[in-house]
Amino acid sequence: MVYNSTMASFDNRPVLPEHGELHLGGTPKRAHRWRPYAYSVGLVAVTTLVGLPLRSFIDPTNLVMLYLLAVVLAALRLGRNPAVLVSLLGVLAFDLVFVPPYNTFAVADAQFVLTFIALLGVGVLISTLTAQAREQTRAAQVRTTQTRTLYELSRDLSMVLDPADAARTVMAHIERVFHGNATVLLATGGRLEPTLHNSGFVLDGDEMQAAAWVYEQGQPAGLGAEAWGAAKGIYLPLNSTQGVVGVLGLQPVSTVPNAREGSEAAVSAGRSATPTPEQWRLLEAFASLTAQALTRIALSREARQAQLLRESEKLQSALLSSISHDLRTPLASITGALSSLRDDAAYLDETARTLLVNTAWEQAVRLDELVGNLLDITRLEAGVRKVQPELCDVQDLVGVVFERLGRRLEGRDLVLEVPDSLPPVPMDLPLMAQALVNLLDNALKYSPADQPITIRAEATEAGLQLTVADRGPGIPEGDAARIFDKFYRAWRSAEVTGTGLGLPISKGIVEAHGGRIWAANQAGGGATFTIILPAAGAPDLPILEARA
Amino acid sequence: MNETELRVLVVDDERAIRRFLRTSLAAKGYVVFEATNGAEALESVVRDRPDVVILDLGLPDMDGTQVTARLREWSRLPIIILSVRDQEADKIAALDAGADDYLTKPFGVGELMARMRVILRRIAHPESEPVFSTQSLVVDLAHRLVRVRGEEVQLTPTEYDLLRALVTHAGKVLTHQQLLRQVWGMGYEGESHLLRVNISNLRQKIERNSARPEYIITEPGVGYRLRIEV
Repeated sequence: MVYNSTMASFDNRPVLPEHGELHLGGTPKRAHRWRPYAYSVGLVAVTTLVGLPLRSFIDPTNLVMLYLLAVVLAALRLGRNPAVLVSLLGVLAFDLVFVPPYNTFAVADAQFVLTFIALLGVGVLISTLTAQAREQTRAAQVRTTQTRTLYELSRDLSMVLDPADAARTVMAHIERVFHGNATVLLATGGRLEPTLHNSGFVLDGDEMQAAAWVYEQGQPAGLGAEAWGAAKGIYLPLNSTQGVVGVLGLQPVSTVPNAREGSEAAVSAGRSATPTPEQWRLLEAFASLTAQALTRIALSREARQAQLLRESEKLQSALLSSISHDLRTPLASITGALSSLRDDAAYLDETARTLLVNTAWEQAVRLDELVGNLLDITRLEAGVRKVQPELCDVQDLVGVVFERLGRRLEGRDLVLEVPDSLPPVPMDLPLMAQALVNLLDNALKYSPADQPITIRAEATEAGLQLTVADRGPGIPEGDAARIFDKFYRAWRSAEVTGTGLGLPISKGIVEAHGGRIWAANQAGGGATFTIILPAAGAPDLPILEARA
Repeated sequence: MNETELRVLVVDDERAIRRFLRTSLAAKGYVVFEATNGAEALESVVRDRPDVVILDLGLPDMDGTQVTARLREWSRLPIIILSVRDQEADKIAALDAGADDYLTKPFGVGELMARMRVILRRIAHPESEPVFSTQSLVVDLAHRLVRVRGEEVQLTPTEYDLLRALVTHAGKVLTHQQLLRQVWGMGYEGESHLLRVNISNLRQKIERNSARPEYIITEPGVGYRLRIEV
């Protein structure tokens, strides 16, 4: 069994050819080739032993039927050549055992020569016919298997949306059908990338070169092909209407434990495992299906990309014009005021100077707010700022918010409904304070100074519910969701300056806490903004990464 | 200590910041020294003997926390950190390393002056004073008595220790870690819920409205400070 141990085959299980399977290297292993002939010899021996006790009562010409039966059996079960062997041996055994004089090849009666010839002729004829029928059955089985295999592959591929998944699907099918190690190398940017392969697939420099050659030439290569015949695997181009999109690789299962040590043996054994034309055709069909699937995926992706690009371009240009306007306006006021102070100081009285300085200051503060907001939203979206929740008292949160807003709250009627009894809630205090500051900032900006602003906190089943309610103009019909979009402002007015980023930042922060935020109009006029933060121990708490 | 003779070291690699601070502080009568990196800052502290250091967190050669730690090895010189938004972690590290206060850029000179006054007041009146008072809060450290708006308040020992820690560093921000270590001792640094609960109880007892505290101010993500009027 030395030969067997270094044998490379696509299947290390013994496979008889008549099973109609598609295993590469599926011709029976040489170690088993003598077996049908041994069976032939055995069959003749058994037939002879069965006939022996009968030879005294039954005429030899009738006993010859037993041998005919043996020939047919052999033809059916063992194939053509073993059946011919059964015929030959049968003739000899018949002559030796049943034709007088017994135990010698000498023939007493010349008429038995006709029996010999008939037995031999019938044997050969039956063997040939049976073998042909068997071959046809096998071919039909192979065709059925191929059709089924291709159907299954095409069905599975039709559901795949990702090239890597397509590659995985194809590999799984090939490995199941051919019992080899498969790989799919996808081309990205004109280069062949090893996408993924079975750990048994040897993808060293030589194999990679063979695959690259296949990719460049669009021709199959490797085992059983003209080019790169010494390669360990078979490589087929994945040809599509858009050119070669990748390479399909298949290697026989090597029973050599270490392919490098046994490379010589593997190569010599590999030659014996070259695929049959049928297998080539099937592999080519696989490659073609794969190429089609990859093309379909690529095209649908391109279409989706194009659509996304169109949308994001629209959004980008809207963002850009909004940002550049919002950045430029305060800068223009600052540089204008400062240039006046620098160049025309002699003409300005105290009041004018104060006015200019105040303008520059206010605009600088506004610019800082905008830049801060832009940074906040960028950090949230990029996931740079992680949410680090800790149990916090709601009163502490509200206190921080008031501290931040400071003077801006002076003279405003604030209705605070924050009970002492609220349980602490896990939150990232600086971030949640920012979210609430933005809501209050909104209420302060958009509602008249003589109207109250209510801040309410309640413990609900869903968690902590925070409400900021104002008596301003409310939210225009249908804008309740859009006001959380970047740079969207429901009410644009000359007096109200805003960045259009406050609400989206709040939304990003709240959602990063696993909470929800929404806006509505309240009965009697004005807007309410509501936040729900999951309570401590809530099962869905929290997504620890801030992503808007 | 006479404010007009105060010596300030400004450490920042931004020329514009140094120039604006030098101009503004000099106008107020401070003597201003400048350093553009950590090494220069350490040299200047030895050479120029400043009374207070204004230290930017992001320096080209070492970060502000390292400079603070190096200074704290041998000096109790007041340090005010300058940080930008979203440097919370660095800010806390610098405070834990011994910095006295922080300011977030951009800031007004008025704010900086106020912080410096708080620190200098604390240096001028070290812990020797037995009675602390601000607005209507009076803490008699010698007799462990706390009075708010004229009425005596009963505090648990922990609440009192917490208030004392804040009072003895009045105006200075104390990080969660510093408070936990001072009040509960080593090994309690991670037990921030103890701090939260006790701050909450303390506020219930001394503040008129816990949601709008007058005395114990939360520095979100950093710690707490006792507000004082300067």
